[in-house]
Amino acid sequence: MQAGSFIVGYEWDFSVVFRDFDLLLLGLVNTLKVTGLALLFGIPLGLLLALLRLYGNAVLRIPASFLIEFLRTTPPIAQLFWFFFAMPILLGVEIDPFEASVLTFSLQSSAFFAEVFRGGILSIDNGQWEAAKAIGMNRNDTLRRVILPQAVKRMIPAFLERAIELMKTTTLVSTISYADLLYQANTIAQSTYRSLEVFTVAAAMYFVVIFICSLAVQRLEHHLGRTGELTKG
Amino acid sequence: MTEVLKIENLHKSFGDLNVLNGIDLSVAKGDTIVILGASGSGKSTLLRCVNFMEIPSSGRIVLQGKPVGTEKADGINYPEKELTGLRARVGMVFQHFNLFPHMNVKQNVMEGPRTVLKCNQAECARRAEEYLDKVGLGWKAEAFPSQLSGGQQQRVAIARALAMEPEIMLFDEATSALDPELVGEVLETMKELADEGMTMLIVTHELGFAYTVADRVLFLADGKILEQGDPEKVLIHPQQEGTKNFLRGHGSFRLPEPVLD
Repeated sequence: MQAGSFIVGYEWDFSVVFRDFDLLLLGLVNTLKVTGLALLFGIPLGLLLALLRLYGNAVLRIPASFLIEFLRTTPPIAQLFWFFFAMPILLGVEIDPFEASVLTFSLQSSAFFAEVFRGGILSIDNGQWEAAKAIGMNRNDTLRRVILPQAVKRMIPAFLERAIELMKTTTLVSTISYADLLYQANTIAQSTYRSLEVFTVAAAMYFVVIFICSLAVQRLEHHLGRTGELTKG
Repeated sequence: MTEVLKIENLHKSFGDLNVLNGIDLSVAKGDTIVILGASGSGKSTLLRCVNFMEIPSSGRIVLQGKPVGTEKADGINYPEKELTGLRARVGMVFQHFNLFPHMNVKQNVMEGPRTVLKCNQAECARRAEEYLDKVGLGWKAEAFPSQLSGGQQQRVAIARALAMEPEIMLFDEATSALDPELVGEVLETMKELADEGMTMLIVTHELGFAYTVADRVLFLADGKILEQGDPEKVLIHPQQEGTKNFLRGHGSFRLPEPVLD
């Protein structure tokens, strides 16, 4: 077949990739910046939303639930476009691609983290609440000292899953010209006509970063498991 | 004799189900009261109303002469803050221990004094040491709950409740989840507490324990006290048919005495 013989005859040339490797690295740093900031804002905001959804009165619970469901059911790219193109019109403010990206993915991931937190909190045996209540602990102290420390440990795999998903989803920021790893790869590919090499290396860079993160979390889990703290008492 | 706890005409219902139908009880300082009854008779609910794990539907709980809650036209109002304060003064031990699995034994015992009573580090440590020694588990202070036997876990749960230095202790079937060979050590700990003058309300199925340790035995049926009195009277010479049936059920199979030596 034509295509087959084309691939056999293809001469790989990675030199162009490595000539512009600093551009790819810059892209990776930008990807990590958006991902990191989205985690930094998204996790606490997710916890807040989860608590409002679980324990808030109707005035707080209903908007929190609506926001979570809305963010989970609309396409991330639509959210990104809304914050980048639509919101500035509505509010009359300037927003650059970086800010729009961080804003979008902080909110978007907060909705997913809210559900992870909620699931984790609800998975804790009611006996833990009762025991804390019986020694006179109030709800806030019980959450802080008893429920969340256990819930968070159980949530680590789900957290990791969401963080990886988030990092992959941030590739959408290239559509609003934020210079993340994918955007940089695309730029280099277009100027060198070496799409195959450039995108292969870019994919490998995503793989390495995410794989290292996975291993680190696995080690952490293993460590926590060994101290006997993960097992139910 | 000072009255620690008084229960007046206590009712509790869950929806249409009436679990407690008017309980009156007076508990003096140092009393050990054992509550018996078939399952569904309301004995656990009675205990859970005393420390407001359940809010009574009507009636009154009086602790150290002071009624809990504020009387309103439509019943008694129980502010959550008052209830948390009250629970800190009433200890409770559950069937399923419910230790905090992410804390070691010492941290479990210190948690109440630390978070609720805001004791300083030295005082928390002193209490942990004192009450773990009392239940014979000072040597396990650094262990995690998952590394302990069921009996040891329950003794830690007792120490955790004692560390609050409560005015009364409630035991809700504290030995029911234990393997038979582990029941003795927990009952022994409870007996020591009774001997030291702790005021205790105990729900249990251990009739031998009730006979030996109780000052008074209550028999509950259908959310009411059917019969009460000293252990000899209720357990050996019961008057009510309900009590007799219950005791017959428990005494169907017995070991001959010499085997027990």
